[in-house]
Amino acid sequence: MTGRAVAVVGGACTDFGVRPLTWPELAQEVGEALFRAVPSLRSEEVDSLFVGAAMPERFAFQSHVAPLAAEQMGLRPTRLLQRNELACASGQSAIRSAYAAIASGLSDIAVAVGVEKMNLPSMAEANSSMACVMDRPWDGPSGATAPPFFAMVAQRHMLEYGTTPEQLAVVSEKNHRFANANPHAQFYRKTFSREKLLGLPMVAPPLRLGDCSSMTDGAAAVVLASEEHLRRFAGPVAWVRGTSQYSDFHNLANAGSLTEWTGLKHTAREALARAGIGLDALDFAEVHDCFTISELIEYESLGLCPPGGGGRWAAEGNAELGGRLPTNTRGGLLGCGHPLGATGIAQAVEVYEQFASKVPSSRQVPDPGWALVHNLSGSANVHSVMVYQRGEAG
Amino acid sequence: MSGAPRTKRPRTVLEGPAATPAPETAAPAEATPLLLDFLPREAEGETRLGRFFARLREGKLSTTRCPRDGALAWPPRLVCPKCHQGELDWVDLPETGHLYAFSAVLGGAPLGMEAEVPFAVGLVDLDGLALRLFGRVVGRPWTELRVGDSVALEVYRTGDDRVFYRFRAPGPPAA
Ligand SMILES: [Zn+2]
Repeated sequence: MTGRAVAVVGGACTDFGVRPLTWPELAQEVGEALFRAVPSLRSEEVDSLFVGAAMPERFAFQSHVAPLAAEQMGLRPTRLLQRNELACASGQSAIRSAYAAIASGLSDIAVAVGVEKMNLPSMAEANSSMACVMDRPWDGPSGATAPPFFAMVAQRHMLEYGTTPEQLAVVSEKNHRFANANPHAQFYRKTFSREKLLGLPMVAPPLRLGDCSSMTDGAAAVVLASEEHLRRFAGPVAWVRGTSQYSDFHNLANAGSLTEWTGLKHTAREALARAGIGLDALDFAEVHDCFTISELIEYESLGLCPPGGGGRWAAEGNAELGGRLPTNTRGGLLGCGHPLGATGIAQAVEVYEQFASKVPSSRQVPDPGWALVHNLSGSANVHSVMVYQRGEAG
Repeated sequence: MSGAPRTKRPRTVLEGPAATPAPETAAPAEATPLLLDFLPREAEGETRLGRFFARLREGKLSTTRCPRDGALAWPPRLVCPKCHQGELDWVDLPETGHLYAFSAVLGGAPLGMEAEVPFAVGLVDLDGLALRLFGRVVGRPWTELRVGDSVALEVYRTGDDRVFYRFRAPGPPAA
């Protein structure tokens, strides 16, 4: 990577779920959690703030959320302050902007925070808001939302490769099981056997309730610093070693193949090349399991297995702890819930805490050195990837 | 996807048998608030795609094609995305196609569509043209649809006299 070296030096999450609190209250909660998790952080040295927030206008009737989040968190950015909106990938977008700002020398110490309040008394209105992620005037009137779109992806994958509902349930069971070791997860202490998952109601055939991530309230934040400013943050860090992004369509008419995510192939290849490593060097991955079928296609598009081999990859246990590439040890979007702006940042918190050996032993990857984080957004029309390496501050 | 309670709100009524008015609501149905309205802005003075909506009112779905490079666009455009110039031709689209993929919305519908649940949606490969359109699929319940089924394009009017398109699968009407 070019520019100054940048590392995540700590982070924190609020509880995810149906939370009895507002958007600004979530921002306060995550601020408290961040300063508790990174005790050496002083608010006056945070020169920049990037706020991942997908749709506060719709869910909280609030724009200009960057200064709002700063005020709620007790920060006074003096160099860069902005809100990052990239739907489901808004959180990673905020981290990438913080990374770019520090690498360029504009910022020395930055916070990337993601906040999303999604559960409203009117779920129909919330569903309308979610539908705005698609091409609203052209695909929206017909009822395009994420579940029927990813259901069509699953249908094509089943048709082209023989993928089964049982293979989808393997992913959901795994991620819910990891979420049982994550106290912040929406489905913490809730058990989902494969049999139970296969018996849940259909949401958008062939996808059942357990194949879909939830509407979730939650926030997460990380601190990033330049190499020159690492000394005061004792302990392990997560170096940002590679990152890339790819966007190739918006209207569903222009999607091309539903089952081959070429954008992810491109961006993963480039992010790994920038990091100077191959897939084999990775010790774990956080990938965007907004739906079970997404995780299967992500295995394939990352190049872990051949096209159509995702179901088998999961069923053989390759994504489990001790498998070829432990995936979504945090509990994934399926187990943790998916507060759009917070998800990408919660994944980075997981990477940091895995590197720092701070997660419960039942989901700890032994001695990890490298991790990959992936988010898709919208109808998998944008893919964003980051590659992290474990290091030490000072 | 969430078990939270759903609030009923006025909806855009699609063409077809009038819904029985809810007895407890005496007030006339309000229009969907502007920023919760999914349909494109089609009125003169609100869009430069008036030609598209005028043709749709005649029952024809059309789009733009660039005379310079032949690029067919969806949705219709003012400027070619390939060569960036703004002199585009209009072409009518084929009125038949085949289902490339489909699903159904069985819950979690947006505001104004809750009363239509369950409804089927699909991606349709138009016959004789490299264009795959997303749309509502009516005419048959989703359980009676199969990938590859023939469908026909259909233009419909909304309750407030706007126009949009969907696909109809021939066969017995939904139970
Ligand atoms: Zn052109």
